[in-house]
Amino acid sequence: MIYDIRLVTLSTYDDYVPFARHVLRLSPMNTTRQSVLSSSLSVEPASSELLPGRDFFGNRTVGVVCSEPHHSFIARASARVEVAAPAPIGATPPWEEVAGLALAVRDLSPEAPAHFLFPSRVAPLSDAIRAYAEQSFPPGRPIAEAVTDLMRRIHADFAYDGDATNVSTLPEEAFALKRGVCQDFAHVMIAGLRGLGVPAAYVSGFLRTLPPPGEARREGADAMHAWVMAWCGPAAGWFAVDPTNALVVGEEHVVAAIGRDYADVAPIDGVIFTAGAQRAVEVAVDMAPAA
Amino acid sequence: MAAPTRSEGLFGFGFMEGYRPLAGVRDEMAGEDGAIRPHWRVFLSTLGLLGQEEAEQRFEQMAQRLQATGATYRVFDTPGGRERPWPVSRLPLLMSPGDWREICAGVVQRARMQEALLQDLYGPQTLIADGVLPASIVAGSPEFLRPLVGVRPRGGKFLRLYAADLGRGPDGRWWVMADRTQGPSGAGYALENRLALSAALPEAFGALDVHRLAGFFQRFRESLAALAEPGGAGVCVLTPGPLNETYFEHAYLARYLGFLLVEGEDLAVRDDKVFVRTVAGLRGADAFIRRLDADFADPLELNAQSRIGAPGLVRAARAGNVTFANALGSGLAESRALLGFHGALARRLLGEELRLPNVATWWCGQGEARDAVIAQLSALAIAPAFSPASSSYTDVQVGAELDGPRRARLIEALTRRGVDYVGQEIVSLSTMPVWSEGRLTPRPFQIRVYAAATEDGWIVMPGGFCRAANSADARAISMQMGGLSADVWVLSEGPVAPESLLPAEGDIEVKRHVGALTSRAADNLFWFGRYLERAEATIRLIRAGHAREALNDRDERAVSAAISALLIGRGALTPHDTLLNRKVALAALVGSGQVGTAADSVAAARRAASHVRERLATDVISTVDELADTLDPAVRPRSDPQERADRALRLLAAIAGLIGENMAQLTGWRFLEMGRRIERGLATLDFVRALGVDHASGASLSALLELGDSSITYAQRYFIAPARRPVLDLLMLDDNNPRACAFQIRKLGEMARQMPGEGADESASLARRLVERLSAEMIAIEADSVDAGFVARVRAALLELSDALSERYLVNRNRLAFSYRVDE
Repeated sequence: MIYDIRLVTLSTYDDYVPFARHVLRLSPMNTTRQSVLSSSLSVEPASSELLPGRDFFGNRTVGVVCSEPHHSFIARASARVEVAAPAPIGATPPWEEVAGLALAVRDLSPEAPAHFLFPSRVAPLSDAIRAYAEQSFPPGRPIAEAVTDLMRRIHADFAYDGDATNVSTLPEEAFALKRGVCQDFAHVMIAGLRGLGVPAAYVSGFLRTLPPPGEARREGADAMHAWVMAWCGPAAGWFAVDPTNALVVGEEHVVAAIGRDYADVAPIDGVIFTAGAQRAVEVAVDMAPAA
Repeated sequence: MAAPTRSEGLFGFGFMEGYRPLAGVRDEMAGEDGAIRPHWRVFLSTLGLLGQEEAEQRFEQMAQRLQATGATYRVFDTPGGRERPWPVSRLPLLMSPGDWREICAGVVQRARMQEALLQDLYGPQTLIADGVLPASIVAGSPEFLRPLVGVRPRGGKFLRLYAADLGRGPDGRWWVMADRTQGPSGAGYALENRLALSAALPEAFGALDVHRLAGFFQRFRESLAALAEPGGAGVCVLTPGPLNETYFEHAYLARYLGFLLVEGEDLAVRDDKVFVRTVAGLRGADAFIRRLDADFADPLELNAQSRIGAPGLVRAARAGNVTFANALGSGLAESRALLGFHGALARRLLGEELRLPNVATWWCGQGEARDAVIAQLSALAIAPAFSPASSSYTDVQVGAELDGPRRARLIEALTRRGVDYVGQEIVSLSTMPVWSEGRLTPRPFQIRVYAAATEDGWIVMPGGFCRAANSADARAISMQMGGLSADVWVLSEGPVAPESLLPAEGDIEVKRHVGALTSRAADNLFWFGRYLERAEATIRLIRAGHAREALNDRDERAVSAAISALLIGRGALTPHDTLLNRKVALAALVGSGQVGTAADSVAAARRAASHVRERLATDVISTVDELADTLDPAVRPRSDPQERADRALRLLAAIAGLIGENMAQLTGWRFLEMGRRIERGLATLDFVRALGVDHASGASLSALLELGDSSITYAQRYFIAPARRPVLDLLMLDDNNPRACAFQIRKLGEMARQMPGEGADESASLARRLVERLSAEMIAIEADSVDAGFVARVRAALLELSDALSERYLVNRNRLAFSYRVDE
């Protein structure tokens, strides 16, 4: 499947901003099942310097240095991406065995499970979430089956609600509310899996705006989306699931960046120098099959 | 306490009597039987010869001296913390030559090992591939900074200052309790301790061959200075700022080593190079003593929420344009979990056995070790695996102290996620004599020993930062928990040559200035000046208004109302309040938390001063502290407003005098002075407007003279009651009257001409043009023509001048973390 993706973000400020630096993680990456056919990125103020790079996890980043005074910052990204459906996950080992294997891997490369075992900046561990997750993990259950079950339960038990949480809501708060957006669902699931010793990663990316004919509307398609990958042992590798929509990730998701939690992959962050405050950020995203 | 005033024999002191080691615990000074160890004898007999009375006096002076130098650390027992005087023990820890040899060799070995460890983990990671270290022991550490993986530090070294916390175990050997690799603190306090104690006990210090510290700092300084490119700002000390618990030390070290103290806000990164923002523009900076934890160093690639770092520092490090001592990421080696692997690491990385044993540690991420820890839980302490081993003891659980349910919970946690925990042997440390409640008592202690990387390899500071517990429980050694620090006297086998940081006479280049003035420092000096002057004007208003309390005259009541209106305008009073009420007057003076009171302005001045304490004389700092006490309702609560106001004004005059007489009149002083002159000009204009223009009566004009502190000058010149024209001339236009508006403008003009970038061949800045225009206007006008419009114009021009200075030289913007989802 080939998609065209377009994204625009607009942020405005109360007062003028004489200087700002940003890091953008807006462009899709190449993975084993996803190849970027073309992509482009532009920002306003147009005089800004763009510094392309890669972070530790291999994500494409673009540093932006805005030295021209501005009242707003706009980033536009577009890409054409070909996505292949992943092979079915198949039979996987019991989850306890996977948790043990995760500790034995002698590897610190970016995909190594060790990076994804521990509490991270905005996804601390939580006893309450771990106890909730544990219900999907009875002794001996194959890991992929347990992960899928947990994803379905989160979808069933939580309400999608853009007003209940904000960008700094911790997973434990979203869990208590049983509400939130894709970021919250992903963090809750990650905290649950790591609490049980299962490596879990946060994925930021795009979701097809209109579902395939005959299927229900998806949540989270109007902005950048987030989902989860769980490590299922050295043979099966990483297994991607979308707790916001109760979907095993297939052909409808395009990956932009992978990290330990939102803080590793925030679509835009940075530092602005200004006397005033930052106003709202408006985001428009569209992902549709290429014509 | 028995108090013989002369000592007879060796240890004739009252406070020495009955000193006995704790049962079963080794003591540094006394053997099991109470007999004094040989290397303490000379020290104690010299102390004994002083006599108790003299000794008491010396220690009293030492405490006062430390207070006067402003030696403090910040305690976080209240929100935001507060500063505490630095507690120094009266007795040093004496270290025998034999012990010291063992420690030196062991500490250098560890420094080499930690350097090699960091080289591998941020480089080829062979320790992981070969299974010497489990991958998760590295991945689990918050100090494993992924953006630095694969980055070789400029100059090739991660560690340039390393420290180890040591304690003497029951076997008589020195044990390593923790490694300090992030930015070892305490070396500056060690220096301060040495200066204080050697000054208090010169006889004892002279009688013993004690290794000097200055040579170590000299060589450390030289090795760092060699890292900085010539022509830039030189080596900078990067501090998190005055809220950090050891900020005093950062400022102290910067001053002692002659390096520039900077905060993240002072730094700008352009084209992957680092610059310091100074009042004369950007200056290159490429070598830093880093006292800011790495995670906070760069909000772009590390902690995005950090407000104290500088965006782009990691890119600059990656590009090889900056050296940090220590390199970003070095904190990884402090991890507690690694303590259990040091034996294996020393064999693998150095091919050596460890010379100093570690406190035995088992990381519970491995099944076997975890089961062993659970099996002997009652004999161990359980701690978080990934906090630095030096972190506080509050998160440590002692197995033997746990009740049934807590023990069960801990075992469950260990079974579930053992990776997050270590089990550690509980070491009972040896004790040293500490002065407590009028006598010496044995207290457990640790000593931090420092090693610096130089061209010729590692050198060890012959001394240390010693901390003693405030109870017999060795787990409570932390300054945060009220312990004491002690100087460490390393005894030499032979005579010691005196040395000092001062270079030989011939090597000194005569300098008339001290390096770059950062924009932030200039900004703080400017506001320090403005707030001091604002406090003074507020106090004068309160005093003048309150003094009219008893006068029941119509004109005086009008004056009182006008003064109240001014105070309401400043925020010191709320509308409808009147100074006639004593409580109201007191609140305007000492009210805290209300913007505009005198106490609030003093607090703001003090905050500004705290950011530039290395640039202000210690007398200025301590007088500002005294001023704050004078306006603190909790200090001498019965004192009345009049008395407090008088005292506060005297202290303000003392501060102005100290600044005028003790501060070199360079750019920094000029910013302070300009702040004062602008604020005084504004206050005078307010006074004139309210009491000389809007209403003018005999009563108001004499109040105006009082507020302008010009009553005596007036009386000397004019033998008449205050009249409008001469009073306005004296307070507005007489540029020889230091209180007059014209005087402030004349001074501002003189200083504006000497600001950076105002050379003869450069076009005048906006600030300069504003002040020149104002001077011309002041000369042109007659006292009769001073009306509300004129006062308002001058006032607006002064405010514009303040803004123009800020815009051109100072830090005038907030820094915000960009948020992708703004909460509405």
